[in-house]
Amino acid sequence: MLSPGKYVFREISLEIRPGKTFGLMGLSGEGKSTLGRVIAGLEKPTAGSIYYNCLPLSGMKKTEHAAFRRRVQIMFQDPMDAFNPRKKIGHSVSEVLTLLKVPKVKHTLKTEEMIITAGLPKEVLSRYPSQLSGGQLQRLALGRILLLSPEYIILDEPTSALDVSVQAHILHMLRKAQAERNTGYLLISHDESVIRFMSDSCGVLENGQLKLID
Amino acid sequence: MKAHFTKTLLEVRDLEVSFKGIKTITALSGISFSIGESETLALVGETGCGKSVVAHAIVRLLPPESRVKGIVELVGKSLLELSEKEIAKIRGKEIGIVFQNPSLALNPVYSIGHQLAEPLRVHRKEKKKEAISKAATVLKNMGFVNVAEWISYYPSWCSGGMNQRFLIAASTMLDPILLIADEPGKGLDRKCITELEIELKKLKGEKKTAMLLISHDLGFVQRLADRVAVMYAGEVVELAESSIFFERPLHPYSKGLLNSLPENGFVPIPGFSPPLSDPPSGCKFHPRCSLRKKSCTERHPELKEIDERSVRCFLYP
Repeated sequence: MLSPGKYVFREISLEIRPGKTFGLMGLSGEGKSTLGRVIAGLEKPTAGSIYYNCLPLSGMKKTEHAAFRRRVQIMFQDPMDAFNPRKKIGHSVSEVLTLLKVPKVKHTLKTEEMIITAGLPKEVLSRYPSQLSGGQLQRLALGRILLLSPEYIILDEPTSALDVSVQAHILHMLRKAQAERNTGYLLISHDESVIRFMSDSCGVLENGQLKLID
Repeated sequence: MKAHFTKTLLEVRDLEVSFKGIKTITALSGISFSIGESETLALVGETGCGKSVVAHAIVRLLPPESRVKGIVELVGKSLLELSEKEIAKIRGKEIGIVFQNPSLALNPVYSIGHQLAEPLRVHRKEKKKEAISKAATVLKNMGFVNVAEWISYYPSWCSGGMNQRFLIAASTMLDPILLIADEPGKGLDRKCITELEIELKKLKGEKKTAMLLISHDLGFVQRLADRVAVMYAGEVVELAESSIFFERPLHPYSKGLLNSLPENGFVPIPGFSPPLSDPPSGCKFHPRCSLRKKSCTERHPELKEIDERSVRCFLYP
């Protein structure tokens, strides 16, 4: 909890470019996730602005904001949080397609395409989240995000809950998706080796300040 | 493969755990290992391979729909045959447990001091004031300053790393002979992991506590464990001394795990672990193994001893 007048971070300036990855490191509690949520438009900054294609978020019309929310997606640390535990995976994926106004007849085709992107067998669609491993769910979470064709993805510790071999899978899947779709990433991680492997540029959030590093 | 340490503390033999549901799922089969006095054995493997089930089976914290077979002995005492009352006395006193998520393992409505004093009050029937004062001394010995302040804090006021240190303090308050640490570093940042590592090393060095360390962080395991047991789809596929294992793993799955490390370029193992409800025939790793032969798909390999290590693979007859 912060006292009045205190800040989590201040005077932060960074750019995320299409097809590139900006890596954000820092210790727990430094505000990495908060910064990710602010950039994704889920929290409002006390001061300063987030610009998307030169438009400030605060000055966007409702339709522009809706487009922004679709184009800038966020992927969380725990994939269990990304799926409704009481619905089968197929249903959770279909929900996104309904939101995208994809005709019902095309849902099966689109869902199967997504499953191929995620590198998983079709059977997972008839399973509940609790019946899948963390790695499979994180692949599905990413696959579902990619259905929205986002321009940017905020990756908030996408592999920190996963073991080493599954981590390697997800990182390769992210790199492949970026190469094919020119997606820009903000990768938040406390693991320097993950940041070095994935990022074109990176910085450390420390004592409320962002220090860019080579 | 027996522990090289003087006296066996924990002996697990042919442990099998299944869960009864619409279909019976075998989560563990033929798990055998031992832990010597003051030895640290690490269990490593992918999520869902059954590492935590082993830990929960040892302290009998599995849900009622589970069926546990085999032998689990702590200094010759068969834990699976004890009454609920008897095993409750062992949990927390002779076997300390550090669970994965400190924010779930600590009670959010009680202060840190209250929770640290609990083992002393439950097992030694000490008075609250005395128990809290002892808890404060333990924190002081762990290197905490402003102890009076810390014990009045609530878990939500503290960082994940700090809460994990409190959990270790609570779990080792009664000097257990064995500490089970189930993914103690999960979700913690580097600084917290370093703090945690120092704490566990202190326990090993000063109190000579034996440990069953469950972790997917292989670097952490390398720095702390004396021996490593690799698990895949509910069974141990390799068991070796830590230094030997990290220098020259034998099982193709163990090799794959080490190749996934950052220093080896994050090379993933192709495919996924099989669901425990429908494991493949023969060797459970064969669908993902680049070295598989016909026999791997037909016969299930036994865990065999080779040069002071054990491996479950037909490549090593």
